[in-house]
Amino acid sequence: MFQNFRLAMAWLHTWFGLVLGFVLMAVFFFGALSVFDREIDRWAIPESRFEPQPMPSFDKVLRPVFESMQPRPESVATLRGEVNGPIPERFDIVRRWGAYTTHRDPVLNMFAGYEVPNAKDPEKTVWGSRTIDPRNGRSLPDDQLKIGSQFFYPLHYSLNFHWLDLGYWIVGLAALIMLVALVTGVIMHRKIFREFFTFRPAKHIQRSTLDLHNLTGVLALPFHFFFAFTGLVIFAGLYFPVAHSQLEPLHELHEKLEAEETGLPEDRAGVPAPLASVDAMVAEAQRRWAAQGMSGDVGFLAVQHVGDANGYVSIYRAGTDRIALTSNGIHFKASTGEVLREDPPPSAVDRVAEFLTGLHLQHFRHWLLRWLYVLGGLTGCVCIATGLIFFVEKRKRQHARQGSQGARVADALAVTTITGMLLAALGMMIANRLLPQAMPAGWPGRGDLEEYVFWASWLLAMAHAFWRSPPVAQGRLSPAWGEQCWAVCALSVAAVLLNWITTGDHLLRTVAEGYWPVAGVDLFLLASAALAATAARRLARVARAVPAMQPGGKPEAAHA
Amino acid sequence: MRDALLLLGAMAASVAGMGWLALAMDVHWEQVCGETPRSPALVRGLRILGGAALALSLALCLAVDHPSMASLVWVMSLAAGALAVVFTLSWRARWLRVLLAGLPRRAGS
Repeated sequence: MFQNFRLAMAWLHTWFGLVLGFVLMAVFFFGALSVFDREIDRWAIPESRFEPQPMPSFDKVLRPVFESMQPRPESVATLRGEVNGPIPERFDIVRRWGAYTTHRDPVLNMFAGYEVPNAKDPEKTVWGSRTIDPRNGRSLPDDQLKIGSQFFYPLHYSLNFHWLDLGYWIVGLAALIMLVALVTGVIMHRKIFREFFTFRPAKHIQRSTLDLHNLTGVLALPFHFFFAFTGLVIFAGLYFPVAHSQLEPLHELHEKLEAEETGLPEDRAGVPAPLASVDAMVAEAQRRWAAQGMSGDVGFLAVQHVGDANGYVSIYRAGTDRIALTSNGIHFKASTGEVLREDPPPSAVDRVAEFLTGLHLQHFRHWLLRWLYVLGGLTGCVCIATGLIFFVEKRKRQHARQGSQGARVADALAVTTITGMLLAALGMMIANRLLPQAMPAGWPGRGDLEEYVFWASWLLAMAHAFWRSPPVAQGRLSPAWGEQCWAVCALSVAAVLLNWITTGDHLLRTVAEGYWPVAGVDLFLLASAALAATAARRLARVARAVPAMQPGGKPEAAHA
Repeated sequence: MRDALLLLGAMAASVAGMGWLALAMDVHWEQVCGETPRSPALVRGLRILGGAALALSLALCLAVDHPSMASLVWVMSLAAGALAVVFTLSWRARWLRVLLAGLPRRAGS
């Protein structure tokens, strides 16, 4: 019975791991890059290479920008069929203005939500956003893609595939399978403690791959488990949308009760009212935080029901020294600046929820923990990659004997997801440095083109992986592995050189000035290049040692 | 600066703790010290030393950060320490002898 149970677990681990491993690889890798998303943004947008700034003056800097904003055309486009009558040209009833910053942001993200007159669903909101230089309020061009926080980061939880929210669901399923794979993996692994520290690189490839798979899985088990789990928790509202389906009446009631309890108005009064000085409110909030012995950087600032007598301003402290993203919110009446409410200390349940989401989203200031997270993420990548490689290694000689193509296809897909993914990211970064500042008329935006280059590079890598895969069907190593490693090496070095040529920020300068966001990305690229070159040379040595096999026959002499 | 040094200490304690726990295992002892025999008391001592070093690492993390953050730093430092020991054992096993300096041994160098 036990033997059967263990075999059942092994089957589950192998096949679910294979199918969703390809997705998990991207989730872990781009998740690891997202730890430094703001820094990658600096690399990609040279105009934003300056020191992080605190939240600027609302009255002087933010207010004029907010007042000049309108919803994005894409957001307005979602209104088709949602409005009784024509879609309005302008939106003037502001539901919410918001600005969010962290200790790593030189530029400030601002957003505004607008009520839609005559909307079929009165809750319908359209959104506008703007990125500004907080030192002078100047807006950054709209078509510049923040590669880190607007592409790699959403890629790791949505695959940037938004049709029917399918990307979120695929990643959610993959996270669930990750949890299953961890549990089944622990059950399959007979010698967790005896082989806790074991890695035998000198043994044959199947053995050393499995060692690496086991040890990266076991040693970072708490990391893998908590990140897969908290990732699901963060999107629980999407995966189980009970609040707006089965439990809609309860949700409405909850909103009403919450409005009663907090005294913060849920709706507009319909009576116009001016906006008092928000800077004075910020000063008051900082005074109250200081009285409780807490540092007073503003993390999130929002104005609700703008221009209405029911309007209020919420000011939250940046969660720099805690796991929670923001905390200690204080709410002011917008027209008078009087304090309406100070959020009470969070309950035990809230604390747990804040800890679980905060530990994943990590907006705190802790560089060691950031790097440890990168290590955890890359360990996850090694675990998944070695799992895929082990799958192929275990089967390819048998498949070669039977004349089956299974291992060959799995191997080509593994090349695509492992080295192909690196090539896609590098292709994007190179496009970012090579495309002209403003695209000629009639072309897609610069940011859109960077995204196209990303997907095109990945497709190209996939085509190459399949084209070079026939040797796998003879039980040999696919040359695609080594060739793509060399490509990773070349493109990484090219990205560093292009950054130097197009911006003048070479490593000697960025390191000397201590501008680590850009220096760090460059150094990471060079380290990847060195690692890829080492891998390529080792692969070449292995390839020479493995003889080819014929279907049904014995190994023939190696050609090389 | 003080925080950075304490965190460096926490990382070092995690690596050393994992190293001592590995040395308490026969197969890794052989990788590092070859055929040199050792007493059961030394094995016990290595285990206690390893556990104590990991506890010290936690204490150092707690001295720097809020407990919610310190717990994460510590758990991740354990993973990093264990990985460092694994790769040292595979490629430069003898380097771990530094962890045995000053320890009483029944026989050997």
